[in-house]
Amino acid sequence: MNKTLKITAAAALVGLMAFAAAGCGGGDKKAAKGPKDTLKVGVTNFADSLEPTDNYFGWVLMRYGLGECITKLDREMKVVPWLSDKWEIGSDKLTWTFHINDKATFSNGKKVTGEIVAQSFQRTFAKAPRAKSMFQVEYIKGEGQNVVIKTVKPVPNLPGMLGDPLFIVIDTTVNEKERDYRKMGPICTGPYAVKSFTKAKAIMTRNEHYWDGPVPFKTVEIPSIDDPNTRAMALQKGEIDVAVNIAAGDLALFKNKDKFNISEIASLRDILGRVNVRKERPLGDPRVRHALMKCMDRETYAKSLLKDTFFPGAPLMPPSTDYDYKNLYAANPDKYDVEAAKKLLAEAGWKDTNGDGYVDKDGKNLELDCILYTSRAELPIYAEATQASAKAIGMKINLKPVDYNILDKLTREGQYDISVCNTLTMSSGDAEVFVNMYLATGQEQNGSGYSNPEYDALSQKLAVEFDPAKRREIIIEMQKIHLKDASMIVWGHPKTNMVSNKSVVGADIQPCDFYWVTKDFKPAQ
Amino acid sequence: METVIKGLKTNKGFAITTFLVFLLLAIAVFAPVLAPYDPTHAVMADAYAEPGMAHLFGTDKLGRDCFSRVIYGGRASLAGVLMLVFCVFCVGTSLGVLSGYFGGKVDMIIMRFSDLMISFPGIILAIAVAGIMGGSLVNAIIALTIVTWTKYARLARSMVLKIKRRDYVDAAIVNGGTPSHILWVHILPNILPLMVVTAASDIGGLMMELAGLSFLGFGAQPPAPEWGLMLNEGRQQLQTAPWLMIFPGLAIFVTVVIFNLWGDYLRDVLDPRNDVED
Repeated sequence: MNKTLKITAAAALVGLMAFAAAGCGGGDKKAAKGPKDTLKVGVTNFADSLEPTDNYFGWVLMRYGLGECITKLDREMKVVPWLSDKWEIGSDKLTWTFHINDKATFSNGKKVTGEIVAQSFQRTFAKAPRAKSMFQVEYIKGEGQNVVIKTVKPVPNLPGMLGDPLFIVIDTTVNEKERDYRKMGPICTGPYAVKSFTKAKAIMTRNEHYWDGPVPFKTVEIPSIDDPNTRAMALQKGEIDVAVNIAAGDLALFKNKDKFNISEIASLRDILGRVNVRKERPLGDPRVRHALMKCMDRETYAKSLLKDTFFPGAPLMPPSTDYDYKNLYAANPDKYDVEAAKKLLAEAGWKDTNGDGYVDKDGKNLELDCILYTSRAELPIYAEATQASAKAIGMKINLKPVDYNILDKLTREGQYDISVCNTLTMSSGDAEVFVNMYLATGQEQNGSGYSNPEYDALSQKLAVEFDPAKRREIIIEMQKIHLKDASMIVWGHPKTNMVSNKSVVGADIQPCDFYWVTKDFKPAQ
Repeated sequence: METVIKGLKTNKGFAITTFLVFLLLAIAVFAPVLAPYDPTHAVMADAYAEPGMAHLFGTDKLGRDCFSRVIYGGRASLAGVLMLVFCVFCVGTSLGVLSGYFGGKVDMIIMRFSDLMISFPGIILAIAVAGIMGGSLVNAIIALTIVTWTKYARLARSMVLKIKRRDYVDAAIVNGGTPSHILWVHILPNILPLMVVTAASDIGGLMMELAGLSFLGFGAQPPAPEWGLMLNEGRQQLQTAPWLMIFPGLAIFVTVVIFNLWGDYLRDVLDPRNDVED
């Protein structure tokens, strides 16, 4: 190449890069004057369909302000009226009558009646196996504005369970063949209605027939931005007005109170490590399990690695709930103690005989397979921190990142030693479903081989107990057994957050994280 | 070998880049001596420490020393890429030589198979292969070998086709030389310089691809210090702890530049085009 050619090429390259850089910037510099009528919310979305009975897709309908249930959970996780304004239980403890609010209408203007709600619930039971695992019904019928439900067994928390997004009320008089529920969703009662929906982006318009007060925004756009860092940058740049769940490390970027509001709350979630306690597995030995628990410095994990955006864990229920977290945490027999952990391993016969830094027995190292999914930023951090901590006592943990659906399958089948997940503990305003799900004998999700008759007896007692105080006591007792048996790793409990810029008010995060966009999100004056 | 030594004496650029290549290799080999800390030792209370006297490149999300991890990362990254280049070189060249020399069905099978591989977008096929086999550095090397060997096979084949018609090859055949003798003594030495130059100049590019797979989670797995993986780990803290991306990124950049320049100079020194063409 001669010199002129080189210079020309260099100039062209510089020009090209400047052009590319210009393309990156820009954005909507001419902000619209007058009251804001479009809200943009950056979220993570797992659903590719709006059919509420499929998978957990009902969550998306509720999160996006499309669907509503007959009850909801308030900030204290108490069950409060929503589409139903009052309810009562019959003397047989099986028959419940819910009265539907007279004002309630669907987004097509049709009145919400007891019959339609009953048909909506029947549809849920017909289509979603998960509904049957929550409670079983003898009948559901509509009588005027009332819905009458008779359950097979007493279900003390039925109103709370009907607040689960699985039971979103839909207009059953619509012909399902004429409306694609996967793309348009069913006709619901929420403040917004679908204009278009894909996994990557949802656009919603105001529900002109909304029954519960004025709807502030004409349009709501919800792009799915799965990478937490990108979500933070989109909010910084003003491409979105609200971002759900800014990562622990990035929260400091939004501390400027003149520009952003941070709404933060202790969530109802657990970062769990389900441990495989089958006899043939290393963690089948309780001493090895306790050693693993003891080697983890869960306080430092929460404080340093997650920058104080998590509470350290040990009991099953998070500190945001009323299940005696403080005392149970203090009574945890497996506090951080490396020496005690090493001693336990030695007692169990695990010693480092070949000097490779890992303990072994019968010529085999103590190796654990830890499966995890990485779409939640904190899961790899906890898993890697535990890997480093376990190394200090001679345990080798192999991390295996997999897709969530594969993790679920492997965990049910028991093909793992530690299975990492982030789980909601009180999706129906009560802990019963959660305390049973992974630890009670015979539960579909219990792939760990854990079975304790004492625990099961408490679980059966809980199933028929109506007195809230006694229910609380039972759940506390169950947690004590969990701590004694080291039945699962509870690493910590996240604080969850919603960050909004100053153009929006009322963007508050709720402890129950299927309430995101609500009618309370309003444009700033 | 003589040409290379002569090149070291006469070509200044080649001498400098060769020195730098050896320096990189030395850093990788002597990592335990050079690194101030154990690269996997986590001091969690020191997580996200900024670069300073105690930690030259700062610390990462588990409080591990980034400087030590970058140095040790050189081991994984360099060993990985050299292994990869070696595999691609051996597989590609030998299949290409067989295909070119024997022709006919052998040629057809090998070349149609290579066409098949080329018709996929390379890195995506590598992601698929690594994804199916599970993430590990060895699997990433296998995956990239599978998608890269075709380039070497085609090159080797075309050169063999050219050399096969030379008089000295015919003479060897007339004298009763066996195919293995002819391939080994008459053909391979003649194509080797060009193949070596190609391999040398590919090191940089392949290092990026290997780091790319690790970045996507299909290569090295935590807690291994590997540059691509470190970039991915730092990505989440891009705004709050940028040093977690800057230093591994810089390491990749510097290494790739050195190997690319070295490859170019090596080509100048060996200048195989003059040897092959009359």
